[in-house]
Amino acid sequence: MSSSAADGNRRHALRIAALTVIATAIALPLVILVLGPNMPPGKDTTAGVSQVFDNTVLLVVMTPFTMFILIFILYSVLAFRVRPGDNDQRDGAAIRGHMPSQIVWLATTTAAVLFLAIFGSAELLASNGAGGGEGPKPIAKPSGSVFQVQVIGQQWEFTYRYPSYGGVETAQLVLPVGQEIEFHVTSLDAVHSFWAYELGVKADANPGVDNVAFVKVKKPGTFQIRCAELCGLWHGYMFDTGRVVSQSQFATWIAGQQRTFAGSQQYLPKYSLTYTPDPQDRAG
Amino acid sequence: MKLRRLIGFNLLTAVILGVIGFYVGWWLGSLFTSESVAYLKESNQHDISLFIGYFTGVLGFLVGLGFANYPVQRMLGKPASLREKETQGKTRYLGLCTDHKVVGLQYLIGIGAFIFIGGLNAMLIRYELITPNQHAWNGNNYLTLVGLHGTMMMGMMTSGILGPFANYLVPIMIGARRMAFPRIEALTFWLLMAAGAILMTAIAFGGFPTGWTGYAPLIDQANMGVDAYIAFFAIVGLSMCLLGLNMVATVITMRAPGMTWGRLPIFVWGQFSTAILMLLAPPVLISTLLMVMLDRTAQTGFFNDQIGGSSYLYENLFWFFGHPEVYILALPGMGILLEILPVFTRKPLWGYKLAVSGLMGIALLSWLVWQHHLFMSGINADLRPFYMLSTELISLPTGFIFICALGTLWAGRIRLTSPMLFCLAWLFNFLIGGLSGVFLSDVPSDVTTHGSFFSMAHFHYTIMGALLFSFFGGIYFWLPKMTGIKLNERLAKAHFWVMFISFNCTFGPLLVIGFLGMPRRAVTYAGYLQGANTWVSVSAFFLGGSMLIFIFNFVWSLVFVREPAGDNPWNSKSIEWQLPSPVPVHNFDRIPTFGPDPYPYGNVGSDAVPSMPAVTPARPTQ
Amino acid sequence: MTELAHHSTDYSVVESESPDVMGRNLRVGAHLWSSATAFFFVAFLFTYFYLRSLNNHGLWRPKGVNAPVTLGTLIAVAVALSAIMTFAAARKLRAGDRSAFRSLGVVALALGLAAVVLQIVVFATVGFGPTDGAYASVFLAWSGFYMVFVVGTMYWLEVLLATSFRYRGHGAAARPAPGEASGDAHRMGDDIASPISLQSPGADAFAFTWGVLAGIGVITWIILYLI
Repeated sequence: MSSSAADGNRRHALRIAALTVIATAIALPLVILVLGPNMPPGKDTTAGVSQVFDNTVLLVVMTPFTMFILIFILYSVLAFRVRPGDNDQRDGAAIRGHMPSQIVWLATTTAAVLFLAIFGSAELLASNGAGGGEGPKPIAKPSGSVFQVQVIGQQWEFTYRYPSYGGVETAQLVLPVGQEIEFHVTSLDAVHSFWAYELGVKADANPGVDNVAFVKVKKPGTFQIRCAELCGLWHGYMFDTGRVVSQSQFATWIAGQQRTFAGSQQYLPKYSLTYTPDPQDRAG
Repeated sequence: MKLRRLIGFNLLTAVILGVIGFYVGWWLGSLFTSESVAYLKESNQHDISLFIGYFTGVLGFLVGLGFANYPVQRMLGKPASLREKETQGKTRYLGLCTDHKVVGLQYLIGIGAFIFIGGLNAMLIRYELITPNQHAWNGNNYLTLVGLHGTMMMGMMTSGILGPFANYLVPIMIGARRMAFPRIEALTFWLLMAAGAILMTAIAFGGFPTGWTGYAPLIDQANMGVDAYIAFFAIVGLSMCLLGLNMVATVITMRAPGMTWGRLPIFVWGQFSTAILMLLAPPVLISTLLMVMLDRTAQTGFFNDQIGGSSYLYENLFWFFGHPEVYILALPGMGILLEILPVFTRKPLWGYKLAVSGLMGIALLSWLVWQHHLFMSGINADLRPFYMLSTELISLPTGFIFICALGTLWAGRIRLTSPMLFCLAWLFNFLIGGLSGVFLSDVPSDVTTHGSFFSMAHFHYTIMGALLFSFFGGIYFWLPKMTGIKLNERLAKAHFWVMFISFNCTFGPLLVIGFLGMPRRAVTYAGYLQGANTWVSVSAFFLGGSMLIFIFNFVWSLVFVREPAGDNPWNSKSIEWQLPSPVPVHNFDRIPTFGPDPYPYGNVGSDAVPSMPAVTPARPTQ
Repeated sequence: MTELAHHSTDYSVVESESPDVMGRNLRVGAHLWSSATAFFFVAFLFTYFYLRSLNNHGLWRPKGVNAPVTLGTLIAVAVALSAIMTFAAARKLRAGDRSAFRSLGVVALALGLAAVVLQIVVFATVGFGPTDGAYASVFLAWSGFYMVFVVGTMYWLEVLLATSFRYRGHGAAARPAPGEASGDAHRMGDDIASPISLQSPGADAFAFTWGVLAGIGVITWIILYLI
């Protein structure tokens, strides 16, 4: 390559580097201060807080790489484009590779990936599973007392049982605020998925399996519940609204539920972590 | 006279024998009266008849095409030969032809037709999702549309680049006259076509509610329509396995003198790495689908936890196939991208060895990540950090592809032709697809995004944004070579821009919508998402419309205008462009000897020095 | 028209292929096919150990679900012997002893088919059905599909033997008559020069394939019948 061409290339390289640095410098504060904290599912629960933080870190790590690649492509297409009318027959520079660039790329991407994997694992363990289902033997769980509630998925609705209140089954999910909640998610037929969006909780419901997830809600409110695993005909209509209320409101509510269902309680199977419905029916 | 020509081993005979075979099989199935299947009879589900019917139907179809002739001849002791009767002319395309170039073009048309149908299904899905509460289709039809769209696309696009492009180009690029197993090559095409027809019959049997992933135990529960899905996927799996076997064998054994592993065009490396996955992953799928078939017919208990089975078994088996499957989709497009970039930057491929390690690294790592589809399923929580690591690691070899593409662009002389535009779009779309994948691979983040439209937008960015764009890039690049006819470049660019803009307007917002709480495959959604969904649906209609531009261009240029393309309209130095367009039946007059550099672009020394040719024809002493 | 090829070149002057090419393809193809076969059965292997470890509702292997060990062992022995004989037969063929190849091959074929028959007997007489737990399901499916592979592989052996018998009078470099090889009376059958010489590479490739499948069969026997 002639020396003027090499100088030209150095100029291009510096411009790309400068543009990348500037773009990253503009984007990073936006990501950290504006986009990140407003990422779903919101910061009203412990799971939500850890997910928002996790997403922010992901965005921060991705931003420089994204800026570099986009700027590089756009700059190259603009700077190295053959203008119509140019002598089209010449070739570009015969560059087959550049070991320093390859090493830098390999090193930075490897570092980023390893960091994200370690950070993600640490975050997962520190946040009691970040609201995700951990199976019957969770490894990241809160110390201290938990409030247990079972979520039973069936085609095509969720029902909820409260083991510390006599195993009463309700059609509404109401939770007390400020307590560590331990969800036990199971299914009676197909695979469903309990997704409490604003809580930041998702746990698949498998027949014969107890899937445990944890969350603590910081303030009262309502939240959407949606089934997140295709379970048949009315999967799209398998949604609900849940409520988080104060301790006293919850006590009132659950007492009311126990009274309402006192008569039919005897026909329910005893509370257990999984159920064996009988017979196995083939529904459409 | 004309009627006589219709009698023989051809497509018409195949269809007739296929239909007859189906009814024979159906009748055979109705003879089963053992105890374990009595339950089926009671519930009026004729699964056994349907499965046997599909099986014998496909057999009849293949016999009608003439695929049974060679095996029967061999059984009688007649020795091996390579070719079926090879007439020139257009009727070769309607039957069993062992010319790899014919098979390539058959694949292009066949896959194109089925993808068009799958795309129509997508339009109907988006039509439903314009509003949350007004329904265009009833619940079962909506789910069937979702399942048909996904299943058809997955089944067809896995062979979407190997079928048309690798079959046509790999023998030429390695200096061979044929693939290793020409009859198997033809078989893979016709198996895929039979499978596509079978999937369409799902509608006649009530559709299926499981989506393309077919989770058990829902799949055990569903109506007869799901048998079409099972049969389709199993046959597609067989077609993929054989296509992979053929491709790997060809690259290993059929290389011409001078074509060492280090000189293979990167396109061939892309198809080779894919073919290894295509050989090994589908057998697991076929096994799994056979287990589902047994669950549905013989009442075995693989996925029924009440008789000792497990829904997790299905998830593990399916995704052990399913994850290599999506890299089967991604890798060929990378091969096309890196093959086309040198031509339109007039530079050698930057970082050839790095690119090869990227492709092979992706192929290897793809086996180790499948449990990231099960992060929320309730798997042993100890496993999740490992799979988070392995999934994030796979972005490293993917990054190699990016840096090699960027290096090839660097200091080039870039011509923005339509194939080049599709390649640049690949880079943009796969960047977004890959980054969204990093979110999904991170377990805390995945809690919200798993099973949502974010996940759906992620794979559409990688499978459609990258793969389908490289598919069209490949068409615009290589169709002049395959047919000898130019496609209209202005229409091609119009197709590109409408497709690129509408694609990003469709799937970009879906990334956000997923994060905002909309689950996949649901026929209704929260009211606050209506505006976004309407925008997405309208963009999707434009995306579908862009395909019409392509089809118009295709028909207009190839049927009406028919302007000759010449031998090397793109001024490429690759070997296929040193042959006439279209490539003659025998590929080369004499097998060539390859030189040391597959990408002899770029100025060596001064601007005035011309590059070495890639190939010298063999001396005529043989 | 370019330097490398002309449309007008008469295809018949294009050289007919040396049989080494197809021989190499057969060897590589056999290895690839065997690896795909192995993956097919890996799914069953995983299924066996996974469902056994879960033992959902205690129904992995209810009382009374017992595999017929004698019959199963006979099947494994037949399959293994057949594969060993095939290796011996291929070696004879490589040394040029075509009639020894035929004799050993016929016995190997008979053993393979005997294994299939014995498996049918197992299915007819086994004391449990598909609904009797997960082990029963795995047992029936795995054994059944294994036999499908055995039947297909025996077809390949039959083809090798049939060609050997048909050309037993001829020399090793025999060329088939017009139309003989491809079955089309109008073709000269010269796309492979001396296709009869493909017998030996074919037998080697077959022996490898059958050897791997027999090995899978022995592993199947160990897992389903012994442990």
